[in-house]
Amino acid sequence: MGAGLADVTINLIEGFKLNCIVFGVTLLFSLPLGLGLALCSMSRYRAVRVVSKTFVWIVRGTPLLLQIIVVFFVPGLLLNVSPPERMDAAVIAFVINYTAYFSEVYRGGIESIPKGQYEAGQVLGMTKSQIFFKVILLQVVKRIIPPMSNEIITLVKDTALMRVIANKEIIMFAQQYISGQAIIWPLFYSGVFFLLFCGVLTLLFGAAERRLGYFRA
Amino acid sequence: MAILEASNIHKRFGGTEVLKGVSFSLERGKSLALIGSSGSGKTTLLRCLNFLEQPDGGTISVNSEVLFDAADPSTHTESGVRKKRLHFGLVFQQFNLFPQYTALGNVTLAPELLARDEPGYASDKARILARIREEARGILAQVGLADKMDSYPHELSGGQQQRVAIARALAMKPDILCFDEPTSALDPELSGEVLAAIRRLSERNITMVIATHEMGFAREVASQVIFLSDGAILESGPPEQVLANPQTERLRSFLNAVL
Repeated sequence: MGAGLADVTINLIEGFKLNCIVFGVTLLFSLPLGLGLALCSMSRYRAVRVVSKTFVWIVRGTPLLLQIIVVFFVPGLLLNVSPPERMDAAVIAFVINYTAYFSEVYRGGIESIPKGQYEAGQVLGMTKSQIFFKVILLQVVKRIIPPMSNEIITLVKDTALMRVIANKEIIMFAQQYISGQAIIWPLFYSGVFFLLFCGVLTLLFGAAERRLGYFRA
Repeated sequence: MAILEASNIHKRFGGTEVLKGVSFSLERGKSLALIGSSGSGKTTLLRCLNFLEQPDGGTISVNSEVLFDAADPSTHTESGVRKKRLHFGLVFQQFNLFPQYTALGNVTLAPELLARDEPGYASDKARILARIREEARGILAQVGLADKMDSYPHELSGGQQQRVAIARALAMKPDILCFDEPTSALDPELSGEVLAAIRRLSERNITMVIATHEMGFAREVASQVIFLSDGAILESGPPEQVLANPQTERLRSFLNAVL
């Protein structure tokens, strides 16, 4: 394995692809699932609330690192089936974890909308779902962009945790230079990839905030 | 012939009885002013009429059709209530405009959604939506906002926002338009324009129920005044009688305090 800047960069990009895939797929599933979970944790049925809040408690109360290991090993231990693909296990663990976190962001946003907005919709004869999708949702989106950007930027860096079940993500690649050739700078260099990625996200979130700046909520 | 009849409305929140058997009726095209101190039950009564609260007792009828009967659960169903609400409009003290829609958008939103249930909506969508927008423009012009159609709520003064809210309620063509202290959240210099807009509605014989602290306005616009005290009607009648010649000590001291 060459240790010139170009070689290292190509290698690290190879690893960072995995981080990007897990990032993208996690968002794809967790953003809608989180909304569903948020609605469940505000359900009028106590049993539904208890189940979803317990789920959120467990997921937020245990390390993501551990959750990745559990998803990878526990099916085999309990059901005597072969373990899932390493990438699948990582993605499943991330989706579960981030669904819980996102649901709390959604819930905070939804509960911050004044009751008068719902009532105004009601007296105009709108259905519950019309009120939610036509009146409430965009206001929620506007309010949750700042906390949501926090979570999503954390997700970028959390993807590095998947190396615990030997997914060859970027830091795992970088570490091979230490063990194989006793060179440490590629590890530090890998930080640049995260930094750039988060820089782009920060710009995107800023643009989204400006895009919704035409109204106040 | 009464367009609205509320009979023996009871409402309690926990241990507190907020409405203790309120009955009144209102003729089509007339205005009713609800007066009384804060906590007397004015807001709760309006919220009951608009089905935002479910009364514990009593009946509400519009055009002789019983819309709500506390004793008859079949009148409480969610989908039924949504349709019955359309008999009433409510203008809130805090406006409650939808911040992400323009003035025009606030007025057209509910009519557009309602039009989806119309037969032939799919084939005639463009024409129906154009008609709704045209009507909304007309209503906004009536409340003096012809030049503010495309403004967002935060770009409008409180008085303008409240007039958008009035236009929004009018666009649903309710049988009875209710106002919950429509000027209480406004600076005095802004309430005038809102009161003027409501006055014009009364001249057009829109049936209204108005909870208000503006006694001069009540006297001028209402054909009937109800004084609520502790959830019960203490006095009622034409304004010149109730406001000029109060029979009870409660109403006398209330009028002295607000005038």
